[in-house]
This record gives sequence, structure tokens and C-alpha cells, in this order.
Amino acid sequence: MSAALRIAQLQKERGGEPLAIAVLEKAREAGAHMLSGAVLDPSALVDLVPDFKAKGAPLAADVRRDDIYFLTRTAKFRLPITPPFFQNHGNYIISLNRFVKWLAGLVEAEGIDVFTGFPATEVLFDPPADAGQPARVAGVRTGDRGVDRHGRRKSTFEPGVDIRAKVTIFADGVRGNLTKSLVRQLGLDEGRSPQAYAIGIKELWEVPAGRLVAGRVVHTMGYPLKTEEFGGAFMYSLPDNVISIGLVSGLDYRDPMFDPHIAFQHLKRHPLIASVLEGGQIIRYGAKALPEGGWYTIPKTYAAGALIAGDAAGFMNSVRLKGIHLAMRTGMFAAETAFDAIRRGDTSEAAMKAYDDKVQGSSVRRELYPVRNVHQAFSHGSLAGAAFAGLSLLTRGWWFTDPMPSHGGWTRIRKLAEYYKDARPDPDATMNPVRIDRQLTFDRLTNVHYSGTRHVEDQPSHLIVHDATVCATRCREEYGNPCIRFCPANVYEMVDAGDGTKKLQINASNCVHCKTCDIMDPYQIIDWVPPEGGGGPQYDGM
Amino acid sequence: MILVVAEHRDGALNRASLETIAAAQHAGGPLKIVVLGSGMETVVGQLAAADAAEILIVDDPALEPYTADGFVLALEQVIRAENPERVFLPHTYQTRDFAPALAARVQRPLVTDCIAVRDGGYARPVFQGKLHADVAVDGPHLATFQIGAFRADAMKSGASPAPARKAAIAIDASRIRQKPEAPFKEARQAVDLSQAERIVAVGRGIKSQEHLAIAQQLAQAMGAELAASRPICDAGWLPMDRQIGSSGQTVAPKLYVALGISGAIQHLVGMKGARTIVAINKDAEAPIFEVADYGIAGDLFEVVPAMIAELHKSTA
Amino acid sequence: MKIVVCIKQVVTREWQLRVNDQKTWIRDQDASFELNEPDAYALEEALRLKEKHGGEVIVCSAGPARAAQVIREALARGADRAIHVESDALASADAVSIAQSLAGAIRDEQVDLVLTGLQSDDQGFGQVGVVLAETLGMPHATIIMEVQAGEASGVRVKRELEGGWFQWVTLPLPALLTIQSGINQLRYATLKGIMAAKKKEIRKVTPAQAPAPSQRISRLYFPEKARKTQMIGGGAAEAAKDLVRRLREDARAL
Repeated sequence: MSAALRIAQLQKERGGEPLAIAVLEKAREAGAHMLSGAVLDPSALVDLVPDFKAKGAPLAADVRRDDIYFLTRTAKFRLPITPPFFQNHGNYIISLNRFVKWLAGLVEAEGIDVFTGFPATEVLFDPPADAGQPARVAGVRTGDRGVDRHGRRKSTFEPGVDIRAKVTIFADGVRGNLTKSLVRQLGLDEGRSPQAYAIGIKELWEVPAGRLVAGRVVHTMGYPLKTEEFGGAFMYSLPDNVISIGLVSGLDYRDPMFDPHIAFQHLKRHPLIASVLEGGQIIRYGAKALPEGGWYTIPKTYAAGALIAGDAAGFMNSVRLKGIHLAMRTGMFAAETAFDAIRRGDTSEAAMKAYDDKVQGSSVRRELYPVRNVHQAFSHGSLAGAAFAGLSLLTRGWWFTDPMPSHGGWTRIRKLAEYYKDARPDPDATMNPVRIDRQLTFDRLTNVHYSGTRHVEDQPSHLIVHDATVCATRCREEYGNPCIRFCPANVYEMVDAGDGTKKLQINASNCVHCKTCDIMDPYQIIDWVPPEGGGGPQYDGM
Repeated sequence: MILVVAEHRDGALNRASLETIAAAQHAGGPLKIVVLGSGMETVVGQLAAADAAEILIVDDPALEPYTADGFVLALEQVIRAENPERVFLPHTYQTRDFAPALAARVQRPLVTDCIAVRDGGYARPVFQGKLHADVAVDGPHLATFQIGAFRADAMKSGASPAPARKAAIAIDASRIRQKPEAPFKEARQAVDLSQAERIVAVGRGIKSQEHLAIAQQLAQAMGAELAASRPICDAGWLPMDRQIGSSGQTVAPKLYVALGISGAIQHLVGMKGARTIVAINKDAEAPIFEVADYGIAGDLFEVVPAMIAELHKSTA
Repeated sequence: MKIVVCIKQVVTREWQLRVNDQKTWIRDQDASFELNEPDAYALEEALRLKEKHGGEVIVCSAGPARAAQVIREALARGADRAIHVESDALASADAVSIAQSLAGAIRDEQVDLVLTGLQSDDQGFGQVGVVLAETLGMPHATIIMEVQAGEASGVRVKRELEGGWFQWVTLPLPALLTIQSGINQLRYATLKGIMAAKKKEIRKVTPAQAPAPSQRISRLYFPEKARKTQMIGGGAAEAAKDLVRRLREDARAL
């Protein structure tokens, strides 16, 4: 949205032949699939929409107080001082869903088409001008609509449309399906560290009056995660007695029986959190992956006719837990690059490189470069990670090996036999179970109801498991089917096949589009593709 | 005075009319019943059993068969002549077809689909039954009552038959613009469970497709439709149009029997409006018991056959 | 054929309903909205009639400014132009007020057919269509499953009755029909359709000053769970017997 808005601004400033601009959004309405904690650093907003207050930007609360706690199962220890990267003075607690809705309103007011319910499923390529060059990105193809669950066309069938563009800005979010295929096709991640991800599970609650004054920002480390597990929780207080509560768990855990959703329930039962939520009511639930890897995991973000911005490229500061301002800033840079390139008639790779130059010379690099190895340090445990994070304040990120070596998170998951040795658990068991009372704690299926997720039922499954025979045999034996645990929406289930064996059942319509399965599957055989346009969660207020 | 508009077809009184009379008796005050059509002796006889001041008969060939225009023309005159404070009707397909036009014609408000009488108004469901609204209404008005909101057997009978009188109504048949053909029955493509009075629904607890037979037998014994929670339809054991829940149909029957259904919220939202809910599930902690009126924490494969036997016994 | 379709914007079915402080309506600021489902089928039916018999499809909606969302959606699906009777009060108004404001807007349009959904997913009065017909002096038929047009005698429509019964009725034009949900397959709005919709006319109309409504919601609430679950114990056979007895005698459900 920032890119689109920026282009509209440039057009107004510079005049000339107006550019045809389109924004493609897979959700039914802008913001519906957007989820985040969130605490916004307004630096990019101030530049993009200087009169944002007058324009009614939905900034729910000014941050009044920052607290960091270390939790054990029963106790809490508050950090006496807040480290600088966790200080949020001058920032705002927002609902990202509302914020994007607002931005989309500004974009549409500029006359730019925002096509909601139109996911793009494929990148279009043109052969290059010279034989030796890589292909040019020519646009995208939108998804077919009106296909039944067996792949047959229904009477309402509408084929996908090829949308050709001189420049395509890819902002399809964390583990975006288009960016994933673009990076693969053009080898954009060559020489880069593999991306590291986490899953954030979040709920919105309405609690009895007087619990927390709006503007409180609380972050925790420790319980319910083990020291070998990366992550932590957040709790933000919004106006009208609304609380945003969530747990971020690194998708590089070793224990194949780890269940982020169960961990989240444990978190809610901790006295620090339970005392705030008690007597309240859940309003909404959701989950999304986060790109945590930092600077060295960002691929080459440009190609002939293409630019990659925001979470799709991995522009997130995992130490400050902030990415919205970086998404906006890189969106703006992409817009400026695209605008100049199109006006000059040159959208070659060389012209697109201007985007990377902008990023390199900007606050984006100044912010991300010093923390470029912090996430990787956490792979040695949370103490090491925290120590390194602290150290990097002084050393500006220096380390003996730079970049710090890292591996894809999905490679770190250990086999059952190796992790549990002789105490091998039943794959269907819940390690560390928690009491589900459906007041404070919920089972996945109940939670999914509160995500508002809805898909056309009669369509092919959008979770493509390339070899489902692995599930009941090799995966069950080696890892105990971690998909049934890492999916926060009960999409994957191992059910009785009727002959004594199990088989994988995919409840695709529960999917909340978090991308965890695409990321974390130990065999890397799951591909998330966009379902029929408009389907997905309804993250109002998230 | 409350005027109740009774409904009949092919010489048979619609039971909902008795419910509406019960509603009027509950609301209190003098009560008259009007019936429209042609040749309604049997129906009038049944209505006369009610504890009411009078049965008004509007007998005119122009009113048979039913047309919206015909009924509006006739009832408009009845309302002007009798000037009832309130007019009660059953919320049937036929009433829905003419009552709003009648209310507009006589310029009185109409409150539809009421489930209870309140001081100064009525209660009615909104947002597909997720919420209820108490509606306050001013002055003389009309109200339609949801089928089953009042019980037909709650209607009080009179000590002696109510007197019947032919109403002096003239209908200009040329003003009737609808030309209806004879009604016919058709097997619907998709089952409309929302019309079923009783439903037996199965969930994962039924274990396999073969075991559906036992649920089918129970449904038959109860005069109920068979339905299912999502996993059963996903597995293809029952067609999709039998699914109850957020991705299926929402129903509010008189009786809903949930066999082996855990009660995930996606299912509950589709059926918790049912009048009486029975749950049979092995797991005493299953959420379905939270919305059930009657629950048996037991093995449905033992309980259901015993129920079928009991049902057959009593009807024998 | 000139067809007017009356459409309503309602809160989405998934929206977690919360009652406002006055308890007279739901809290719908920042809610998600969609086109009332039966109205979507009415629109689809109108578009099919136009495709078959030629003519024009006009959509009309009475509601606050945000109702423009469903108007644009209807234009994107193929309606030719639109009328927006804009007023905040109409969002939660009673059926007569809504019908009168619609009537005022379309009275001069010389239509052949007016289609509405049979009722709305929010208030569910099921009245607006019929009251509109009466106000405009048109004959009407409700809960329609099928429409046959193109004859001089008017339009022949299939009404749904209780219990699997149906009935064909012929009405002279102009007429009003309230359409049942699910009678056809809704088409998608294509990209071309969305872009073309931006150029289509949306005529804004302010409703005439309406008289105070004679019915209003005095209290909106979640139905109380009057249920207290009665768990029936004992062995399977006794429990089954007990249950059947209670269903017969206490609950009168059998």
C-alpha cells in the first residue's frame, strides 16, 4: 500500500502521463489477512503521510510504558532497565489490520485500483533482450476461480488473468508464494544465508475494565519456551479494554513434539497473563510467520521488471520486533525506483538496482546491519542470543565469522529417536499438555472459529503435499508428523485410514495463511499456494 | 381485541394457527379468529373449539385459491370493520406473502417472526438467531409468530363452541392480479434441513459409514431428518447438503439429537437455536453437553438401539 | 426489460457480534460488511434475465455511505447503474422506513420488474420487498425459486411453499419478486467488471424526511442460556428409556 501511495504522490508531484497502477490483494478486503502485535515505529509513516493524524490514521494508543519480564512457570522477573532496542517511546500500538485498511483507503482515494479477492499465483516471464541475461519479469497471472475440489470447472468458472506490467513490486508477505518462486527461478538467494522464521500466534481479548491502562507494552522471555527454543511473548494494551496477546516461537526448534499452540495456552495460564485476561472474552485469533533472519537472509531484491519489498524480502528487525516501518520504507523506495525507471523507459536489471542502492544508503541498512547476526546467535540458545544481542550494541554486530553460520530452521528439527532416545512418545500424544477450558485456553478448532476464516468449500486443496505417502510412514516414524502440531489451524490431521494405518487429512478450509507448513515441514514437500481469491481469515482488529 | 388469522389448505387447518391462538390467549384480552377461503366447514368446526369470542368466516370464491391480493383485499375490510388492537398471524410462507402488504395497506406496523410477547411489544430473533431483540411497537399493529414459538396444545379450549359468523366482505375479483396454478410437490435437489422439525445428527463418534444405519433407524423412528457434522460430510459418508454448522446449514428444529458429536463451535453455531437438544457422547467433557438439554454420557451404539426399541414400543 | 434490484449491505456472517452500549444495535464501527446473501441471488437472477431478454439492470440500496461497497460490487458483476439512497439512520431502520425510501428513489424509473432478496441477514423482517410492492402499487410474489419472463401476460414465477411444495404464479408487469437464496450460481466480478464499474453512474438520493418509526428495538441481547443440562445416568437401556420418556412428556419434542 505504501508503494502504491508513494507512486500516486510522485505522479502528482512530477506530473506527466499518468501510470496505470494496480494493487492485487488476495483477501476479500484490504487488511483482512494482516496480523501483527503491533507496535509501530512511525518514522516511515511520517514521511509517507505527514498529515497522518489529520487523515485519521488509526493509531490506537501511544506507548506509555515498556516492560520486559523473564518468566518461569510460576514466577516473573521484571528487567529493571529496558534495553534501547526495546524502548518504544514515541511509538504507537496499532492494529495492523485497521492500519492497512486505512492506507488502502488513501490509495483508493488517489484513484488507484485495489483489486481485492485477486491472488496472483504465477510470475510471468519474458525472454531477455540478450540471450545471456536472465528472463525479465513481465507481470503476474491471477488465480482461476470456479474450480471444484476435483479440479473440474464449475459453471461459474473464470480463468485467471495475465496482468502485464513494466514493473512488478512483490510485497506478498512472509514466505510469499510469488517471491518464493521468483527467488527460485532467478537464483536471487545465491550467496545469502537461508531465511529464518518464527510463528506468531495471537489473540485479541476484551477484558473487564481497569486491568491495564492503554499504551502498556509488555514483552517476555523464558517460560513457556525452553532455552533452546527461540521466542517470547508480547502483551499490548489497547483502548476500550482490549488486550493483544501473543507468543512468537522460532521455527527452528529441535524437539519434534514441540507445539507452539500448546505453548501459547501455557503462556496464557501464567499468572502475569492470566491475571489480565481473567473474566475476559476472546475476540479474535490468528497466526502468521515472521521473517527473523535479518540482513544476510535478504535475497537480491531486484531483477529486470521486478522489485521485492517488505516481509517478502525479509525486511524485519527481529531484535526490535518491528517490520512495519521497514515494509513501508522499502515500499516507498520500490515505488520511487519503479516510477523513475518507467518514466525513463528503462526497467532493466541495472535500472532496478537503484532500489537496492536506496536501501543500502538508508535507515533500513543502518537499522538492520548492526543486528545482522543476532538471530543466528540465538541458535546457540536464548542466553547466548541475549548476550550477543547485548554485545552487538557495542560492537555494531561484529563477530568472528560474519555472517554467523546458519541453516534453514527446518533442518534443525531432530528425529524422535534422537531427541527422545528411549522415551519415544506416541506421535498423537501431547507433550506437556494443558487443560483446555474454552474460557482462557482453547483447542485449535475453536480458535480457528475466532479467526473468521472462510473459504469456498468446493475448491481444490491449496496445500500441496508433493508426496503424501511419506506422512503415514517415514514422517510418522522419524518425526511423529510435526505438521499436526506446528499448524495453528488444525489443517493437518492424521486420521485412521480404516485398515489400521493412518493417513493425512488436509482440512484446507481452516487455513489462516500463516505459511508455517511451507516453512517448517522437515521434508520440504509442502507448497502453500493461494486458495481461490477472497478466502482466508478475517482479522478485524488484529 | 386480538384478531387471529387462521390458515388452512385443502380443508386441513394448519397447526400453526392453533399456536397463534395460544399466543393470543397468552397475550390476554378478547379474542376473535378469522378464516378466509371457500367451503371451510371442517376448519371452522376445529377453530370453534378454541376459547374465543367469535369465529369470522370470510367465504368468497375469489379467495380460493390463495392470492396475496385477495387476502389483502379481504383482511383490509375485516380490520376496518372489527378494528382489532392487534392482529396475530402464524409466520408461514403464506403469511409472509401477504402480511406486509396488508400492514402497509391499513397503515399499521407489522412485527414479524416473534418468539414471545413482551410488555409493549414482542421478542424476535435477529442476525439469524444469534441475537434477540425486544421490539416496542406503538398503536394498533400486526404480529406474526414463529412456528413452534407457542405450542398448539397450549391453546385453551372453550367451554362451548365459539359462535361463527359470516363476515360481510365484498371482494372485487378483478383487482386480484396474481394468477396461481395448482401447488405441486417436488423432490428438492438439496435437502432443506431448516424446514425439518426433528433432526438426528451424527459426528465422528459414529466411527464408520456402515454405522450410519443405526442413526438412520433412529431418525425414522422419530420422524426426523438425518444430518451430520462436518467430518462426516468431508469423508463423503453423507452428502454436503446434510451438513450442519458454519460451513453448512443453520437449523433451529424442535428437536436435535447429536450422536457422537463433540460440539466444536463450528457445529454449535449451526444448531444451538434448536428448542430441545439431546447429546449422546462417550466423552462426558465434550462441549456438546454445554448446549444440550438432555445428555447421556455413554456409548451411542448401546443407547441408540435401546431408544429405537422404546420408540417403537410406545407407538405400537 | 428494465429491472431494479434492491440490495442491502449487512455485517458479514463471521463478524463476532457485540451489542452497543445502549443495547439498541450491534457495535459495527470497523466491522466487516458484505452484500446480503439473498440479495446477491436476486442480483444474479436479474443479470441472467437481462442476458436472456435484454434491457437494463439498476441496483438500488438504502443505507449509510459505506453501502457504496455493495453497490460497487453489484456494478462490477454487471449491473448497469445504481441509485444510493444515502442516510445513516437507514442502517438499522425498520422495514417500512426502508421500503419508503427505496420507493421514493425508484418510483420514477418506469421499471418492468423489481427484485429483492426475501429477507435480510441482519434484521430478517422479510417485509421490505412486499411493502415496497404495495407502496409502488405493483403486484408481488415472494420466496421465488424461478422466473420465466418474456411473455406478454407478464412473468411466471415459481413460489416456494412449506414442506417441499411449490406453486407457479403468473403476474402482470410491472411486478415485484422476493428471491430465495441459492436458486442460481453467483458469478464472479471479473477484473474488467471491476474496472468498468468505476465509470458507471451511482445516483445519490437523500431520503425524504420519514415519519418516526412505529416500531423500534428497545433491547438487543444474546439469548439467555436458559438451559440446564440434565444428564441422564444409568445403564444404556434405562437411560434410553428415561430419555424417550422425558422427550415425550417433558419436552414434548416427540
